[in-house]
Amino acid sequence: MISFRVDGRSVVPPYLQIVQQVKQALRMGVLDVGDKLPTVREVVAATAINPNTVLKAYRDLERDGLVEARAGHGTFVRHRPPGPPPGTHSRLGRSLIRWVAEAREAGLDDESMESLLRVALRAETEEETA
Amino acid sequence: MTWLVWRLHRTQLYIAAALLAALTVLLLVTGLQMASQYHSALAACAASHSCANLASTLFLGSHAVGFGVIMTLGVPALFGLFWGAPLVASELETGTSQFAWMQTVTRKHWLAVTAGWMLLAAAAWGGAVSGLVTWWSGPDNALQLDQFKPGRFDIMGIVPVGYALFAMALGLCAGALLRRTLPALAVTLAGFIVVRAVITVWLRPHYLSAVTVTYKLFSPFTPTGSYWQLAQGVLNPAGRLVPAANGLAIDGVPVGSLPSACAAPASGLQPPGPACRQALAAFHGFITYQPASRYWAFQGIEFGIFAALATVLIAVTAVMLLRRDV
Amino acid sequence: MIGVQAVPEAATAIRTIGLSKRYHRVTALSEATITVPEGRISALIGPNGAGKTTLLRLLAGLTRPTGGEMTVNGGIPRQDPAFLAGIGFLAQEVPLYRRLSAEDHIRAGAHLNPCWDGVSVRERLAALAIPVDRAVGTLSGGQRAQVALALTLAKRPRLLLLDEPVAALDPLARRNFLAILADAVAAGGLTVVLSSHLVADAERVCDHIIMLAASRVQLCGDIDTLLAEHQILVGPRKDTSAIERDHRVVQLTRTPRQVTMLVRRNGPVIDPAFAVSDVSLEELVLAYMGQDAPPTLARLTSIGDSE
Repeated sequence: MISFRVDGRSVVPPYLQIVQQVKQALRMGVLDVGDKLPTVREVVAATAINPNTVLKAYRDLERDGLVEARAGHGTFVRHRPPGPPPGTHSRLGRSLIRWVAEAREAGLDDESMESLLRVALRAETEEETA
Repeated sequence: MTWLVWRLHRTQLYIAAALLAALTVLLLVTGLQMASQYHSALAACAASHSCANLASTLFLGSHAVGFGVIMTLGVPALFGLFWGAPLVASELETGTSQFAWMQTVTRKHWLAVTAGWMLLAAAAWGGAVSGLVTWWSGPDNALQLDQFKPGRFDIMGIVPVGYALFAMALGLCAGALLRRTLPALAVTLAGFIVVRAVITVWLRPHYLSAVTVTYKLFSPFTPTGSYWQLAQGVLNPAGRLVPAANGLAIDGVPVGSLPSACAAPASGLQPPGPACRQALAAFHGFITYQPASRYWAFQGIEFGIFAALATVLIAVTAVMLLRRDV
Repeated sequence: MIGVQAVPEAATAIRTIGLSKRYHRVTALSEATITVPEGRISALIGPNGAGKTTLLRLLAGLTRPTGGEMTVNGGIPRQDPAFLAGIGFLAQEVPLYRRLSAEDHIRAGAHLNPCWDGVSVRERLAALAIPVDRAVGTLSGGQRAQVALALTLAKRPRLLLLDEPVAALDPLARRNFLAILADAVAAGGLTVVLSSHLVADAERVCDHIIMLAASRVQLCGDIDTLLAEHQILVGPRKDTSAIERDHRVVQLTRTPRQVTMLVRRNGPVIDPAFAVSDVSLEELVLAYMGQDAPPTLARLTSIGDSE
């Protein structure tokens, strides 16, 4: 069973943290199709967050098609999110280490590198919507 | 709510019961002793025809127990002090009254049950002590005939119940008014003493108009039974009060006020001669008193006064708790 | 009326209109108009002396208002068993009898309340490892607060009013307390108003906020909606009258080069000169609290405004 961690100080709103943690668990294999998610009361008792927050997160996941709520029984995993083929993470990780080394040599500090990444992500989103 | 009242005060209840039990044992034992002592003395004096002096020669019981019985004067005050005042004051001071009030108990119900049981306990305890003391004093009352006098009147009959109700109500009211335990205790004690003193000294003599009897000096009049003497003295022929005789006197008239026919020679008083007697005939003695037959009427009136005071105090307490923001 | 959202009558736990409370010459609460929908956990935030305790006591029926009207649980607060049964009030000075044990209080509750769930109290306290046989005065502050909360929940109220319940608790005790509270709301049929002067607690467990400052209501509404309606605009120092005309500026700070505004939007902000960013709950609360700040404080927020 998955256990949630909600960081009150994070810029990410609590309900989104829960959504992300569920997706992460599915990706890593901690949760599989047919598994039952913790009940709202169980999450609330463990994290001391508002019950509506949990409901909102579960509704979001249901809308994305990842989970389904069965009345009287709970919320169950329906699909795994589409993920990259195995090995992708390690391959991309290695090329990222090389890029970081190159950027460091060129004189960039951590903030500049992060800024570049954010710009690239945003550019990609804008390209998609264009 | 009754359960909560009992649970909160059960320690005091046990202590009070234990004290009452101890007092009962003490008074029962000594009372029976005194009764038998009295009856043997009566039998003895009847045989020797000297019963008239019994009152001044026989002392029943022991000084210690007698003193203890007199101390039961203070018993009613204890209710107000140790039960009434701290009850409401500490609940308001610490805020614990909110516990009950927020547990679906309206303030009216809280006060009614709490005050109801407290007053009942006060009346029951006061009545029990009074009953014991009244029974215990039986022989002494028959002997001394002084139960109507202040000090004795207050510890027997039904008035102690009235005092207990009053003290408890005063404690509750002071607690509700002042909301702090210590000031409430002080006010209760002071109030109880003042009211009791004022009523005993200034009001009680006048519940019913006193009876005044004047008599000739040679044949003094003494009321029967356990009467309560309010005043006694001698009036001169003009009707003015003669100062009390502290030293030498003839038939109660002091040397300084004697008529000229009774002038005393320097060597001392002599039995009054016929001229003196004739002059003294113009003097009168008087006694103002409450007859013994009025004893129970007075008990009833005084009980009524204190019960009425208790009622007023409880009403004031109710108004304060139910109307004010607490 | 600031910050009042329209909610259908049937779904409100609390509705007040112009509620006021005066003590002789002191006004503790002035013209409070709030609405709390059912099922919310509402944070009553404000500095000390702002009127939080007064508002809670008015809602609980412990005090009578000197002006205005209110509906709580569909009725008017009064000394009536039916009304009292639906309200749970926990004062700051946790009113428990120090010499009695938790078990005694549970039994008292069974005698005093028509509807009482003593089993839930014993379960909750057992889960927290709080002994029920010891005198309550020997427990720690956090444990006493938990006992009081469990007892208040056991009467199954519809509305729970808590006056600074976690003020004196350590972080762990605070967490446990809020978790039990959130769990009780998750079980259904309960609305909570929780007063505090810590915004952090509010953010985590509350979804509704009532903000008091200087005895007046500054904000009242769902937190998510309020955060969506407010934004921070940062831009070069220039004429801001257009913005001020179209939207409500809550706080404005000027430096010689820059102007920062916290606005309540009335529609989208279309001014390319300004960078728009979201506002956090803490910033929002501080901004509204600063509105009634004394003059010296207000001047500090306009640094270098001499030009």
